[in-house]
Amino acid sequence: MKNTTGVELTESEQALVECYRTLVRILKKSNDLAPFERRNALKAVAALWQIANGLDMDPGQIYDIGA
Amino acid sequence: MPREQIEALQVRKLKNLLAWTQESVPWHAKRLKAAGVSADNVNSLSDLGRIPMLTRDEWMEAQLEQPPYGPLLAAPQEAAIRYHLTSGTTGRIPLQVLDSMKDWEWIAEMWCYGFWGFGVRPSDIVFFAFSYGTFVGFWGAHYASEKIGCLVLPGGNMTTEARVKQILGMKATVVCSTPTYALRMAQEARSMGVDLENSSVKRLILSGEPAGSIPATKRLIESEWGARAADTAGMTEVGTIMIFECEKQPGGTHIIEDHFIEEVVNPESGEPVPYGEQGERLITSFGRGFIPVLRYRTRDLVVRVPAGTCSCGRTFDIYEGGIRGRVDDMKLVRGTNVYPRAVEAIVREYKEIDEFRIHLYTADGRQDEIEVLVEIAPAHDSQAERILHELRKALSQAHEGLRIGVKQVDAGSLPRFELKAKRLQDDRIVIGTTGERRTTA
Repeated sequence: MKNTTGVELTESEQALVECYRTLVRILKKSNDLAPFERRNALKAVAALWQIANGLDMDPGQIYDIGA
Repeated sequence: MPREQIEALQVRKLKNLLAWTQESVPWHAKRLKAAGVSADNVNSLSDLGRIPMLTRDEWMEAQLEQPPYGPLLAAPQEAAIRYHLTSGTTGRIPLQVLDSMKDWEWIAEMWCYGFWGFGVRPSDIVFFAFSYGTFVGFWGAHYASEKIGCLVLPGGNMTTEARVKQILGMKATVVCSTPTYALRMAQEARSMGVDLENSSVKRLILSGEPAGSIPATKRLIESEWGARAADTAGMTEVGTIMIFECEKQPGGTHIIEDHFIEEVVNPESGEPVPYGEQGERLITSFGRGFIPVLRYRTRDLVVRVPAGTCSCGRTFDIYEGGIRGRVDDMKLVRGTNVYPRAVEAIVREYKEIDEFRIHLYTADGRQDEIEVLVEIAPAHDSQAERILHELRKALSQAHEGLRIGVKQVDAGSLPRFELKAKRLQDDRIVIGTTGERRTTA
């Protein structure tokens, strides 16, 4: 996996970016999350956004999922 | 990151920001369209000049027309978790802003640049001399300290004496405050008979006033605390800091260029000024998407120099001397420009002076006068005459021979400040009237 400047991410970095993307996907699509699950996932995705952004992965905006 | 990569990153982020703004904020979209700007036709930093500048007045008017936030929000209010206000340094009404969870994390992230860059680490104990209100101030710094893993001491709603006691009692290693309040705490410690110089405090992180980069003020703070002090500066309009001083203390502050584009322009013509020349900073922020900020006129005066002037290895350019004042700070007194920062730089050379105020008034209804009122620490009262004489001379020499009165006032009689200090009082009237107040320099 490469970032937008063409730099290859390390294995750990790739895993974190995947984690971010997975969380965004879950928060967008899932209606079966309990409130405690959703709010903690939102907190996590807000923090993971900083990683994806810092790695120059263009994480976009996530206001639509509440983060 | 090499400069060319930083610039390439900025261009890509700028295009993303423009696309987001056009899509989500019709008010901005209209302005951009009128200027012929779109995400598609901005391809280099040289295209920046085509993007309309945003002034505080425009932001304020937009808010007044459509309260409380104006037509500037890019996301529904329901996505917000934070509300803050500007402190009102300039302008009629405060600006009101919102942040989402992601924005709030980003705000802390920017403060992490400053804290980590100045050597703050998880083992540190950080005390905040901050009142935790709607002014954003050190809020982001508080969360940054938690994020780094420090032990955080939130010193809100405390007297100065109680703060000094807690700093000592909890063995804080880092103290965050305005430069003015750092000196206030040092004065308080002195009157309590406390030796701050040998305390556990190793670092002070300053923000909220330009004084953090005035060499004399900084020297005084560092000597009173026996610790190193770093300047930072932020603004509510972007929610966080955009510049910070690193551990090498290069005499200025690094610009966080992977999250902001900072331009320096002539405040009158709006044209870019070269490295080394003073101008007004414009900011474009990539972080807070809730309220996109494009080429915002800050009114802050800065001098930008290349990153290479610092030995830390960062490739972020530097504002030499931090923020040097504000475009509207300058006062014209009998044809001479007077900047409060320049006066402070001279006054702070005198360690014996505890507090001061710059007072402008009209004498006999026909002449502008300026005087500096100073409080001399009681222990140095016997030297008052010498200090007043020397200060009068130094101030005059630094202002083209302008006559500047210097008067001693009673110890403790001038106001003290926790947040932004207001040390200039302009009581001048319109010459020829019986008391009509002047509104401009």
